[in-house]
Amino acid sequence: MKTLLRNGRILDPSQNMDEIGSVLIENDQVVEIGKIEDLSDIDEVYDCTGFWITPGLVDMHVHLREPGDEHKETIISGTQAAAAGGYTTICCMPNTSPPLDNPAIVDFILDRAASPEAGGVFVAPVGAITKGLKGEELSNLAAMKRAGIVAASDEGFPIQNSQIMNRAMVFCNQIGLPIMAHCDDSNLSKGGSMNEGAVSAMLGLQGIPRTSEEIATMRNCLLSLHTRCPVHIMRVSTWGAVEIIRLIKSLGAPVTCEVCPMHFVFTEDDIGEFDTKFKMQPPLRTKVDVELLLQGLQDGTIDCIASDHSPHASHEVDVPFDEAPFGASTIEATLGATLTYLTHRGILSPLETIRKLSTMPAFILNLDGGTLKPEDLPVAQVTVIDPDVEWTFDRNKSFSKSKNTPFHKMKMKGKAVLTFSGSEIYRDAIYPAERYAIYI
Amino acid sequence: MNRNLIAIRTMPNDEITGLLDLAAEFKAKINAGEDVPSMKKTVIGLLFFENSTRTRVSFEQAAFYLGMRSSNFATSASSMTKGETLKDTILTLRHERINGLVMRHKSSGAPMLAAKHFGGPVLNAGDGQHEHPTQALADALTILERKTSLEGLNVSIVGDVEHSRVARSNAWLLDKLGANVRLVGPRTLLPPHPSMLPGECYDELEEGISGADVIICLRLQRERMAEGMISSIGEYASLYQINADTLRFANPGCLVMHPGPINRGVEIDDVTADGDSAVINQQVENGVFVRMAAFYWCFGGQQS
Repeated sequence: MKTLLRNGRILDPSQNMDEIGSVLIENDQVVEIGKIEDLSDIDEVYDCTGFWITPGLVDMHVHLREPGDEHKETIISGTQAAAAGGYTTICCMPNTSPPLDNPAIVDFILDRAASPEAGGVFVAPVGAITKGLKGEELSNLAAMKRAGIVAASDEGFPIQNSQIMNRAMVFCNQIGLPIMAHCDDSNLSKGGSMNEGAVSAMLGLQGIPRTSEEIATMRNCLLSLHTRCPVHIMRVSTWGAVEIIRLIKSLGAPVTCEVCPMHFVFTEDDIGEFDTKFKMQPPLRTKVDVELLLQGLQDGTIDCIASDHSPHASHEVDVPFDEAPFGASTIEATLGATLTYLTHRGILSPLETIRKLSTMPAFILNLDGGTLKPEDLPVAQVTVIDPDVEWTFDRNKSFSKSKNTPFHKMKMKGKAVLTFSGSEIYRDAIYPAERYAIYI
Repeated sequence: MNRNLIAIRTMPNDEITGLLDLAAEFKAKINAGEDVPSMKKTVIGLLFFENSTRTRVSFEQAAFYLGMRSSNFATSASSMTKGETLKDTILTLRHERINGLVMRHKSSGAPMLAAKHFGGPVLNAGDGQHEHPTQALADALTILERKTSLEGLNVSIVGDVEHSRVARSNAWLLDKLGANVRLVGPRTLLPPHPSMLPGECYDELEEGISGADVIICLRLQRERMAEGMISSIGEYASLYQINADTLRFANPGCLVMHPGPINRGVEIDDVTADGDSAVINQQVENGVFVRMAAFYWCFGGQQS
């Protein structure tokens, strides 16, 4: 089977390529990119004129909720949602029930992700740093690495004890496992449900101060500097955290970081009258923070954009604000929000956009993907994006089981229309039928 | 037309003054032994998720004066302890044809959720640290009976402002009706970012109540010590207690108010609480009349 993606704008940040050309996929491999002369034996053609052909998008931060919370999301629904969002590889977080802290659960997740009903995207599990996410004893990290985890993180239960984190970094560095750190000093954030600021004072909601994020960011950055362990800071939300990461990078620490679209699209003001769709962790901050996040994205301090897809069932969020869980369903809106708020506004060039959504995430976690170079890509991972299509996000059309999302009804410009993960193809309803031809 | 009474913050000024006028009218009628409107077929659900005797009894008394029936839902005995969500409790009451709901809840914003699912009027009897609108109305009525207008009055709200729904509702109401609001307390108990709240913050009592026409004391919760917000009850009292000594800084004839329950000897001393300037019992009394007005208004009644 030979599939030709014809005449698109090829954006491959791994080789700084931005040129018009074609991509040839044979069975489940990318075999050629650029000006393709030999068009014999082509079975199907997707006309990509005006579209971008990019390395498959890589989402470092996804909650698939399985095992344990299948009413929120399953590996099947979550991977289908990922494919629709333009992703070909996603990293699933360990705060499942039971937690992803041993090799048996790694096997379970990889098996489910490979099942025929799943979305076909590649799932790269992230294992818990400590047993039961309790922040006390280290998990069997080496065994989990053999089973297939690509990083270690205690995610939403960040390790408070600096010595445990220090030892985790020393050991993870030894076995070549990056650490992903959600940075929060829980004594400062305890009981809070939104950004500590003017809006929380007005609404009478307990605030989460920016210091809870920044102190933990600084600690993890310093531990990385001194242990040399690669540390990826998750979901940066404050201007102070951006400054800390800029500083620690200048000192040569192996630190990288991500931002989530909620944090550059929305602010604390969007909570309005206690709207739980906007309850995030870390919380939505202020306009000043958004400005500095955009600056950090532009100057490269912020390496990646991740969805932090955190699905919840509708009954779980139809509760008073302080009782609602943090997070929302975002994986199908992340590319659209990024293109609309960053690329079309000139914050990021198209090539930089794809670098932050694909090449950098793959590079940081040593994943296959993030490139279109046939020799570096064992299995095809390609996304085709219509950068100019205008559409409205509709949660009722989403593949995710969770309809709890702040992006509902948002007008967006740009969408993934085709996603190739190995031999699996997701073709969005928006892709024009007349642009497809089959010759078998 | 049914209305909710959830937050002073979002209420137009004419609705606030209308409610205050209505409450004054009801008070005059009750005191003169005249008839007030009868709302005989109306059943009110009193849903108190937090303990409160004074506010609950005040709403019950208001309902009684209007001829309404009130039905108490003691939440410890209700289905909430069996894991029922707030939404389902509200839906149940709605379909039992309870006409209106008075709710107190530990979570800020909970009455908005209740209103979304209930359909009929929802009256907020205190939500978390957000608002307690009928308390603010009672306080305003009490001031108006003595000062004729709120315009230009200096009102100092003293104590644990950050955690107080009474402080927020009062600040909004007094500010909207033209008073100069000051929020006074130690910095650990003042909102760290007060720019979207009405009023000016003061951390020194003398300055905060200097020239005050009204002082509203707030109750100090003892758990603030364990949370590191105050060092000791004694130190707090020495810095922020309203007593004869500190009242010298206020204007002559300054009213001293307290939403209760009082910690005598902490935020206010014994002599002042029972003294001539204190109007604490009048606040309680007016609470009944503003709640009558609130019921009448929420069910579509107008000022006669």
